Amino acid sequence: MTGRAHRGAVLLLLISSAAQAAPAPGERISFVSCPIVRDTRTVPCWLAEYDGETYYLTIQTDVSAPVTPPMLGHLVLVEGVVSDAPRICGGIVLEPVRLSVMPEIDANCNTLLPADERYTIDFNPRPPGPSAGRLAFAPNPSGQPEPRPALEGPQTVDVYFDFDRGVSFRHPSDLMSIVRIARDLPARRVRITGVRGAHLLSDGTLLRESAGVGQRRAEEVARLLRGAGLEVEPEIDWIDGEAEADGIDDWRSRRVTVVLFPD
Amino acid sequence: MNRSINLCVFLLACTATTLLMAETPSRSAEKLREWWWPPGDGRVFPAYVEYDNELGRLGIVNANGPIETAGHPFFEPLGTNGRACVSCHQPADGMSLSVASIRQIWEATNGTDPIFAPIDGMNCPNLPPGDPASHSLLLERGLFRIALPWPPIGDDGQPIEPEFTLEVVRDPTGCNTDPVYGIDGERREISVYRRPRPAANLRYVVSTRFGVSPFIGKTGMLAAVDPETGLPVNMNMMADAREPTLKTQAQSAARTHMEVAKPLTPEQLEKIREFELQLYAAQVYSNGAGRLDEPDGPSGLGPRALERGQDGVLGNNTTRYVIPMENKWANLPEGDTPEERERNAFRESVQRGHDVFFFRTFWIRDAMHINTVGLGNPAKRTCATCHGMHMTGMDTANGWMDLGTTNHPWALEPPEDPWAKKLPELPLFKITCREDLPPHPFYGRVIYTQDPGRALISGKCEDVGAIVMQQFRGLAARAPYFSNGSAATLRELVDFYDRRFNMRLTEQERIDLVNFLSVL
Ligand code: HEC
Ligand code: HEC
Repeated sequence: MTGRAHRGAVLLLLISSAAQAAPAPGERISFVSCPIVRDTRTVPCWLAEYDGETYYLTIQTDVSAPVTPPMLGHLVLVEGVVSDAPRICGGIVLEPVRLSVMPEIDANCNTLLPADERYTIDFNPRPPGPSAGRLAFAPNPSGQPEPRPALEGPQTVDVYFDFDRGVSFRHPSDLMSIVRIARDLPARRVRITGVRGAHLLSDGTLLRESAGVGQRRAEEVARLLRGAGLEVEPEIDWIDGEAEADGIDDWRSRRVTVVLFPD
Repeated sequence: MNRSINLCVFLLACTATTLLMAETPSRSAEKLREWWWPPGDGRVFPAYVEYDNELGRLGIVNANGPIETAGHPFFEPLGTNGRACVSCHQPADGMSLSVASIRQIWEATNGTDPIFAPIDGMNCPNLPPGDPASHSLLLERGLFRIALPWPPIGDDGQPIEPEFTLEVVRDPTGCNTDPVYGIDGERREISVYRRPRPAANLRYVVSTRFGVSPFIGKTGMLAAVDPETGLPVNMNMMADAREPTLKTQAQSAARTHMEVAKPLTPEQLEKIREFELQLYAAQVYSNGAGRLDEPDGPSGLGPRALERGQDGVLGNNTTRYVIPMENKWANLPEGDTPEERERNAFRESVQRGHDVFFFRTFWIRDAMHINTVGLGNPAKRTCATCHGMHMTGMDTANGWMDLGTTNHPWALEPPEDPWAKKLPELPLFKITCREDLPPHPFYGRVIYTQDPGRALISGKCEDVGAIVMQQFRGLAARAPYFSNGSAATLRELVDFYDRRFNMRLTEQERIDLVNFLSVL
């Protein structure tokens, strides 16, 4: 406790809005800690503790959900806004929330709590067994492709990444839409900029991704786009996102920006 | 094992197709000629046929009608070692090859059948042929040697720089350290040992109706393409998805397993593909449950169900089950005769096994390409979460996952102690992942594996031990299970899951699951 009080005092000097015991709705909060699983009668809840408080992150859903659970065995980077919704599974609800699994293994993150009568999920989650057809990634019902607006001028697409990671299961649709824009525009020139992300956490720490990650991401995206039929040879560069770290949606700095020029 | 079933007993329950059938070839060594398909045998492959197995009978639907196998490239020994495709994809074994058949053929031919050819029917081609010890992996676990280039070669013909280094820790077959066949040998190959996968129901296996795009759904990497059309494929074939199409697969099988002198012609490839796409195999009679294809029975059982069924459909398990049974075998009447009572009790067990498979949750943990694709780790789900595709229980497009079948600490390994009666049979590799890239999320940067699986093709650390799941059909005809043959029986397979995921299955749940799997 004394250690934390001491660190808190130092932080007070650094930033004015140091973490307090009871965060107010609307407050932005970002921290790195172990995720915690709380089983329920239906699907598990995912929680995390920070500064003496428990936060609700998400429930288990499926691949298509906008927020997907983190992993035991790894720390999670949580960036969210405190909401005034009633607690879920005992945790203050963060909404919206952005979660990123930290890549290195951390065996300390291993808390799986049993179901507890006090914690029930009163909304109707995608159940752990049969999905009742509620898979959000089912093909669109009309079977027709979505109409695409006419494109004019340079087009910018941002692709966001998990901490220190490259292309993953989150990215096929982003990459497809870039391929489509390149074809429809059609793009004569393509610039791909990889960014090394940086985050100002609630405790004042600046959390940066590894040094080469911006370049790695830009090159990987370029290689994949080429492989999927991008005809122009993209220009590639990379920058450091440190200047963007202000504690507000810093996950946006973990990205690749693709600009497609019609001329 | 030598159990010839008198068909007439079942005539009342028989469907029209069965009535047309001549007789079920018994699987005994004495009647070898009836069920074993030697290469170039020239028999007609009928429109429908049934074969005995230990748990009942398998039915094969040859949907386009009888085929003259004389001159047919699936059945003729086109290569230099006397093998045909059918050598290792035997109709009686669900178009795979059971270890029981392998042993019977060894006995019957004194080890001279072409399946024992040195190239991959021995632990390593450098061993003395004909000595059972040289063929131990094939004779004991039904494993053929699969030699793959190392480092991997990309689609552009250029070597891929792997994200890891690979060392041979243990080489019981001698092949991976051999001056010719070894990793640092003349051929620069790595040898792993795998089961033949069923060459039936392939319309389902190669379907592009679900989840196929230029980018692989689970990783965002580029999907392999069909070299003829340039279109992406589903990457659900072979343990490591290295072959994009049935034609490239057949071409490479001819080159490797059959040692052909020149490549198959486009006509031959097309004929093989056409044959494979219309062939359906599934258990059709169960010693416990009786006929599996009764008109008013569960609609997902028997080979005709596969012939009728739609491919590329993700089961949702409320309206579209992976294996539809419509609760037909729940709450059956007790039955009037002892036989009927026994049959109904077994059918109810199958139905319960089905329910365990779909509804019984457990914590799926540390399984690459399932816990990493949005479910979280662990995920409280069921067998059907990984095995989701309608009719085959495969995964949706790109079906490789790490279940732990080949990786430490889950892989089957004999205990290491001075009293051990059995020594390790499979090679063991140490994988060390690059320091400057993220580690494997569950194993870290050092992984011990018997077969790196997909990583041998992709060169990716996260793919180490990821194996493409097989279809679930004809299981009764083709033990042992898993790509490395590590589960000798369905019971061992179920017990593996119980250990792997700490499922705490009851004895009854295990029996029910085994019975369910045995009728597929
Ligand atoms: C020496 C035995 C042998 C011969 C001969 C053989 N195969 Fe196979 N087959 C295998 C093995 C082993 C595998 C699995 C390889 C792997 O997973 O890496 C396999 C896999 C397959 C598969 C993949 C099925 C799936 O669902 O993944 C198909 C299709 C197939 N073989 C067709 C053929 C054809 C066509 C021929 C003849 C041109 C042939 N095989 C000859 C042993 C053989
Ligand atoms: C984490 C995903 C996952 C779960 C959960 C899972 N499986 Fe599997 N299953 C696989 C993979 C991957 C393979 C292929 C592994 C190999 O060959 O090494 C497989 C293979 C199989 C096979 C085919 C074996 C063969 O040789 O043809 C059967 C049968 C099977 N599983 C049954 C089950 C049952 C029963 C359960 C529930 C108790 C289950 N699976 C749960 C991933 C899973």
